[in-house]
Amino acid sequence: MVSLCFYFQVHQPYRIRKYSVFDIGNKKDYFEDRSGTKLDNKWIVDKVAGKCYLPTNAVLLELLKKHPEFKISFSLSGVFLEQLEEFAPDVLKSFQDLVETGQVEILSETYYHSLSFLYDKEEFRAQVELHRDLVKRLFGAQPTVFRNTELIYNNELAGEIEAMGYKGVIAEGADHLLGWRSPNFLYKPVGTERIKVLLKNYKLSDDVAFRFSNRGWKDWPLTVPKYVQWLNSINGSGEVINLFMDYETFGEHQWEDTGIFEFLRHLPEEFLKHPDNNFKTPSEVVDAYPTRGEYDAHSFISWADLERDLSAWKGNEIQDAAMDRIYDIGERVKLTGNDKLIHRWRKLQTSDHFYYMCTKWFSDGDVHKYFNPYESPYEAFIAYMNVLQDLEMEVNDILKERGFVKDGILVEPRINL
Amino acid sequence: MERFKSKRVHIILEKDGMKVLMLGWEFPPYFAGGAGIVCYELTKEMVKMDDVDMTYVMPFGPEEVLEQHLRVLIANNFKGKKIKFKRIPSLLGAYTSQKEYSQTKRLIDQKRAKMGIDNTTSLYGENLLEEVYNFAERVNTIVDDESFDVVHAHDWTTFPAAIRASEEMKKPLIVHMHITEFDKSGGNGADPHIYSIEKEGMEKADKIIAISEKVKDGLVKNYGIDPAKIEIVYHAKIDLGPDKNLDFPKFKDKNKVILYAGRMTLQKGPDYFIEAAKKVTNFYKNVIFIMAGSGDQMNAMIERTAQLGISDKFLFHGFYTRDEANQFFNLADVFVMPSVSEPFGLVPFEAMGKNTPTIISKQSGASEILSNVLKVDFWDTDRMADQIVSVLRHKELSGTMKKEGKSEVEKLTWDKPARRCVDIYKDLIGKK
Repeated sequence: MVSLCFYFQVHQPYRIRKYSVFDIGNKKDYFEDRSGTKLDNKWIVDKVAGKCYLPTNAVLLELLKKHPEFKISFSLSGVFLEQLEEFAPDVLKSFQDLVETGQVEILSETYYHSLSFLYDKEEFRAQVELHRDLVKRLFGAQPTVFRNTELIYNNELAGEIEAMGYKGVIAEGADHLLGWRSPNFLYKPVGTERIKVLLKNYKLSDDVAFRFSNRGWKDWPLTVPKYVQWLNSINGSGEVINLFMDYETFGEHQWEDTGIFEFLRHLPEEFLKHPDNNFKTPSEVVDAYPTRGEYDAHSFISWADLERDLSAWKGNEIQDAAMDRIYDIGERVKLTGNDKLIHRWRKLQTSDHFYYMCTKWFSDGDVHKYFNPYESPYEAFIAYMNVLQDLEMEVNDILKERGFVKDGILVEPRINL
Repeated sequence: MERFKSKRVHIILEKDGMKVLMLGWEFPPYFAGGAGIVCYELTKEMVKMDDVDMTYVMPFGPEEVLEQHLRVLIANNFKGKKIKFKRIPSLLGAYTSQKEYSQTKRLIDQKRAKMGIDNTTSLYGENLLEEVYNFAERVNTIVDDESFDVVHAHDWTTFPAAIRASEEMKKPLIVHMHITEFDKSGGNGADPHIYSIEKEGMEKADKIIAISEKVKDGLVKNYGIDPAKIEIVYHAKIDLGPDKNLDFPKFKDKNKVILYAGRMTLQKGPDYFIEAAKKVTNFYKNVIFIMAGSGDQMNAMIERTAQLGISDKFLFHGFYTRDEANQFFNLADVFVMPSVSEPFGLVPFEAMGKNTPTIISKQSGASEILSNVLKVDFWDTDRMADQIVSVLRHKELSGTMKKEGKSEVEKLTWDKPARRCVDIYKDLIGKK
């Protein structure tokens, strides 16, 4: 028996416009680039909706109706869903239609697709809670499996998530942690009691997500029968194949003319031809299979790059400076009690802002493979720090007015918040 | 001509290889622009390649400069290398205009007259164009005696010579475009004669090397050249050498220093630098703007800072030496190259090599290859000021730009463009 478990990540950040020093203290439109270019959030949602979200949702809805055994799961970031509500209600509706089939599971994550777990556990729990509220409201869903931003994971995170009541957590099936073992089983995170970890089979996931249209790949073109044959070969040596990928794989990373939609359209039928095969959502996988060993992630891992570490978001001086500052002002921001302000501060925690400041590929001169809506990591940093400066000034003004700050120093609030 | 002939005894015939005849008009330390440095760096690397036998022919400069020039060339840099120098008397210089040429010639003739030399036997032609053809004449005497496999010519002044040599020998011609008459004049009032020499050179060439996409675009657009014939070979890093004097002036203690370094001409955008500076002073009181370099806009720029009420924050330095450049880059917290139009622009490489955070205009050829800099449209002085303030304000930003910028230029070595040129030679020699 082998189960195929799909999880698609759907996320779009609120990109910061080119916010200059001259805007500090004057403008609050941090995220409102309306230039029709790659910093324009509405433009991007519209573009990706046309190429990916709407057509892929249509294919999936058709498949879910045709095959009652077909199951999938999504993790939709809060900032993504918020943008759908604002810019593209029809797209939101199409996701809701999928969930309504009862064959689609929604996973839990931080509302702001943030790195808060690394900096502020209380903030992390608050953002998970906010996301739960949102998916309850929009989908009537109550997730039982958690995935952290960019699959950033370690033993401590698994423990935290278990304490928060989840029965499953998602992680990268990193070679250096698995060794000779297979990602196609459930494992018990070291230091936990009951929670199970689902590991991404990165080889089979990346065959679709990255290599599908690569004509230099020895297995190109990837046909459905060929791929299903690979999946079938796991039968007997594994219990679950976790195919985890960005949803934009369909239509945005792999364009329609590569045949990616046809591939998706025929995959379930072909896979279900084998009587031992079935589809399961992450929570069904957790219920169905026992753990077959321990997964020991002493250090942080992620699903990014070859390194599978955190170096895409932190580690260079500008990333660390920006990250330290956004979390440094957290206490003061919350003290204002101003929900809109807190929301704006949290939108600045989205991991993408720090990803844009990454210099590790940039220095090799390979600018093309570097995905960045800014002209350089430095431009990303400048816009970010200018915005942060504005936010901090606003926070300080409010706190001063309320007597929480004297001579620039935070004093204990005398009223109970 | 006697003098010229006597020098030719220095030519040493070397073992068989690809014999290159390179024609240029300047060579360090006698130079007016970056092209001489480029020729120096390129040839230095090219002669290291096994099969290259290089002969560099250039016109004489004024005699006083010439002596110094020769001494440095032969004594230091090319000792034991397979490069030979031939010097031909001429008054050509990189940025020489007809007017400047006549002035220089008059000065030299006066000097010679003072020294009792009879000017009726002057070697120099009456005007620049005549000089260009004189140069062609003299180069022709070289190829009468000696054959080469390929001719490589830098900018229009050498084109008539290069075309003749190439036709005479029936060997491939490569013209290397550093700047065009069209660029220099901004499209207005381009000298038609120079324009036609450039066009003819490019049309007769078997291959054209452009130093940037920007230059290439101009050749296609303004000269109607077939883009398939043009290859881009970017420059590499310029190393200023070790720092000699790093005593910082007193104002450095209390002030941030923002540097402009380059000729003070409209093409280089000094006026945009000053407009941005005015905006920076709204955020920073303790700043000093250094403007190093001389040029026809100097006085106008000094006046403009006074008009804006910021002349107390400006230091105008005028012409500067390489050692002074070292000092400036070390002193500066940020370097800005606001060029309105810049075929390439080597100064950012010098700045980055000295760990100076660098801002360059998008209108420069260098912006096509540099990554660890901030880029700005020259006219967008708000953005320029934003970038300057950000670099001054965030030590992490300037720190990362210093580190990454330095390591980026370190990797841009001259063996790569030199290899590209040699590959072009080989390709053409194989075809002809």
